[in-house]
Amino acid sequence: MKHDSAIELSGLGKVYGRGKSPFTAVEPTTLSVPWGQVIGLLGPNGAGKTTIIKMIGGLVTPTWGSVRLGGHDVARQRRHAVRQIGAVLEGSRNVYWPLSAWENLMYFGRLKGRRSAEIKPRAQQLLTELSLWPRRHQPVGSFSRGMQQKVAIAAALITDPPILLLDEPTLGLDVEAARTVKDWIDHLARQEGKTVVLTTHQLEAAQELSGRIAVIKDGQIIADLPTGQLLDRYAETRYTVTVAGPLGGLDGALPAGAQVDTRLDSTRITLPSDNPDDLHKLLAHVQWHEARLLSVNQARPNLEEVFIRLINDDQTAGQVKERM
Amino acid sequence: MTALATPTESWLAFQARLAANETAKGLRLMWHRRGMVVVGLVMNAFTYLGISLFIGGGHLVEPLMTLTLPALLAVTVAGTAALQGSGGIAEEINGGTLEQTQLSPTSPQVQMLGRITALAVEGLAAALVLGAVFVLAFGLAYDPHPAAVLPALLTIADALGYGLLIAALTVRIASIGAITHVLNMVIMFFGGMMVPITVFPAAMETVAHLVPTALGIQVLNTTLAGQPLSGAWTDGTLPWLIVHTGLLLTTGVVTYVVNIRRARREGGLSPR
Repeated sequence: MKHDSAIELSGLGKVYGRGKSPFTAVEPTTLSVPWGQVIGLLGPNGAGKTTIIKMIGGLVTPTWGSVRLGGHDVARQRRHAVRQIGAVLEGSRNVYWPLSAWENLMYFGRLKGRRSAEIKPRAQQLLTELSLWPRRHQPVGSFSRGMQQKVAIAAALITDPPILLLDEPTLGLDVEAARTVKDWIDHLARQEGKTVVLTTHQLEAAQELSGRIAVIKDGQIIADLPTGQLLDRYAETRYTVTVAGPLGGLDGALPAGAQVDTRLDSTRITLPSDNPDDLHKLLAHVQWHEARLLSVNQARPNLEEVFIRLINDDQTAGQVKERM
Repeated sequence: MTALATPTESWLAFQARLAANETAKGLRLMWHRRGMVVVGLVMNAFTYLGISLFIGGGHLVEPLMTLTLPALLAVTVAGTAALQGSGGIAEEINGGTLEQTQLSPTSPQVQMLGRITALAVEGLAAALVLGAVFVLAFGLAYDPHPAAVLPALLTIADALGYGLLIAALTVRIASIGAITHVLNMVIMFFGGMMVPITVFPAAMETVAHLVPTALGIQVLNTTLAGQPLSGAWTDGTLPWLIVHTGLLLTTGVVTYVVNIRRARREGGLSPR
């Protein structure tokens, strides 16, 4: 019988070190991720994202609380729990570089208890889809960084686990390779219905891929909402007005806090808020000064902006701001 | 979107299959660094020749070599298990693959059994080549005696227990490589590779008995000389060999399990 939640964290927390200098990496956290959801864990370096991912995978023992994967307790039913997950971990190779892509997939499939005959068709499918099939017998160490990361993803997927833990999967990749990996995560989530826990510093990618965002600061989740709601709640809608040529006489008409971006043959003005009165006043001045109006746009809410606001807002420290 | 079905087989068969997977990986990795294995083999051979010449005052004394060659083979097995075992674990920690190996339904001790089996194959293959070369090149004569089988097996297990312990310590002590080299030198000197430990002064011989493989080589040489196992049992060397081997293996396994648990607690499975 399938459990309601793919991942359940109950009061999960971690303190590293003992004695005089213990360090709380993750405050007690309770979180439930339904099947098929992509949740982005965002936070600055050292916020506790990786520790949470590793506690989910049973690679770091929690100080408090528990993790259940598909209803299986990671500490007590490890044998069943680890079968539910595949992981690509941050800052590591994840696979054996001296071995070929094929040998790696065979090894990691059998590591989860599968037989070679069961794994081979899946390995062939993954390597083909990831454009690695022609080089499957070459050592992974001879591959480009992007190809190595593809092998790591294939190794995580070899037993077709329903849950994927992806800790900075695009770290160190060039633009093209990062795009390929991102497209694959999107494919896994939308086409294959995988439950994905994703950490990344590429906020644009997180916004695009994640149906839900949890922002972590100092080991505490300070916001946890569906991506759309998070943007609606925290992003400020702003207007941008672009006129031809320099700012000229409009300078004195700008409200306090407006940002001016002067370009070669145009000037873009970003108003500090979504107050329509400011916009109307500015447009009236544009007409009065006979400046040529090029465009008026409502700026799209942006996760990066929300993230920076949340992280830099001291008032959020120590309190959970918004939770699902 | 669910994980593939759980296989229906006995617990033991399942564990054996996962241990075999580790062994196969270990052997594949060894094959990829086979050049280093050959270099190590040649180095061991020349070291042994140099020591034998030194001890023989510039001559190779064949009766002495007959007694010290088994120690060279034991040192080869022990050294391979320790160096490649600890090197492999260190490489896996730094490469992040040790974490990935923990995402397995089997236990760390079963995985370690698989790893140590691969190291045993590597060490024994190297020892067989060295043994064959020296026996054929120098016409060393051995009288294969059935009584020698048990001490030979115990010596191999003792050597692997040492390798297991070193590999287990690597999870905790990052700089174990330097310590391993020193310990390997100790085994070389006190394990009977230079001279049989029976020629040591009594106190030194007693200390040498604590060194991995030393007791095994002493019992092995006794049985190869045609004496029955009962003699080794009566003089206490065989019982102590059994205790020594059991202790090393148990300590190795326990240390590995404890260190893996500790690494999970402290986040030490990933690159340091």
